[in-house]
Amino acid sequence: MNRTAGAQEDTAPGRTGRLRRFVHDNGLALAFGAAFVLAVAGQAAAGRAEFNSLLITDGLAPVDLPAYLTSSDFAVDVTENWQSEFLQFFLYIFVTVWLVQRGSPESKQTGKAGPESDREQLVGEHARDDSPRWAAAPGWRRAVYSHSLGLVMGVIFLLCWFSQSVTGTAAYNEQQLRQLEAPVAWSEYLLRAEFWSRTLQNWQSELLAVAAMAVFSIYLRQRGSPESKPVGAAHAATGVEG
Amino acid sequence: MSREKQRRPPPSRVRTGSRALLTVVLLAATTACGALAERRDDALATVTVFEQALRTGQKEPLCAALAPVTREELEQSARASCEQAIEDEEVPAAGAVRHLDVYGDQARAVLDHDTLFLAHFPGGWKVTAAGCRPRSEQPYQCTVKGR
Repeated sequence: MNRTAGAQEDTAPGRTGRLRRFVHDNGLALAFGAAFVLAVAGQAAAGRAEFNSLLITDGLAPVDLPAYLTSSDFAVDVTENWQSEFLQFFLYIFVTVWLVQRGSPESKQTGKAGPESDREQLVGEHARDDSPRWAAAPGWRRAVYSHSLGLVMGVIFLLCWFSQSVTGTAAYNEQQLRQLEAPVAWSEYLLRAEFWSRTLQNWQSELLAVAAMAVFSIYLRQRGSPESKPVGAAHAATGVEG
Repeated sequence: MSREKQRRPPPSRVRTGSRALLTVVLLAATTACGALAERRDDALATVTVFEQALRTGQKEPLCAALAPVTREELEQSARASCEQAIEDEEVPAAGAVRHLDVYGDQARAVLDHDTLFLAHFPGGWKVTAAGCRPRSEQPYQCTVKGR
């Protein structure tokens, strides 16, 4: 028994240490993941309250939380924001290959526009021992892996946008029927102002944020942040991260 | 046969995770489809009850099939009970259901001679509007409706 207790005492600090290390090493993903869950929960509560207020005004039955979470009204509100976020990163990843912004830490150095050489990108014969396997692989695997970040962001964007269109059609039609109007087909919804209003109001805000970040970071600093240049770096210094 | 050939490699975590995800997605899709079919059947059942009551002139089941807000509006505008008020309204017996749209808690049933709108309540589907005629670029014009 004593030996077992001793073993537990030996392993417990080890486990705690490993957990602490894991939290420390993954702080960014964990913090944003937790904040995401809290924000979605808040959105669900506020969205349900707003939705129920409309239903009660029309003399209809309010919905409970599980029903709201599986409703098209909630789904379209979620997916319209997701698609624009992934579009923002997809565009940023691809556009910054070719376009530069003098003085911005978000940009490469001005002479490096383009996909760069294999030596600079550590691919093919220039891959190192610790490079991902597909960086050294020939043919399609290297080509796919060389664009995998942008491709995944682009595919998620398209899936979310498609999902927005489908759930948007259902939510729009539910509203149409509440107002004693005829529902519309998915193809017709894609031409409606509602679909483009939801889409473009999200796109414009994402594009503005990216443009603001590219320009503000030329002149402004955040000490210690890799998204900023070092505080003392020159305004003209490009592609320098703090 | 060598030992290496007999030994099967353990399934990778990624493959197991993908299978689990696929199972969850398929299960969710099947459940969603089943739930939608059930909702359509329930809405259709309310339409059938409503139309049968109209054909046979039974006022009580007719009023029971109306949504609370629709019934209230009918009684207030006629200053009479629903059973008395519904007699004065020109709601035609509409024949067979040609088309049914269900989106969330709302539905529209297009029949041979009428269009009904329905909403889902804790007690089941209820008729929110009846005797409805389509109008170009405007909501349907309905003989009986809520607010």
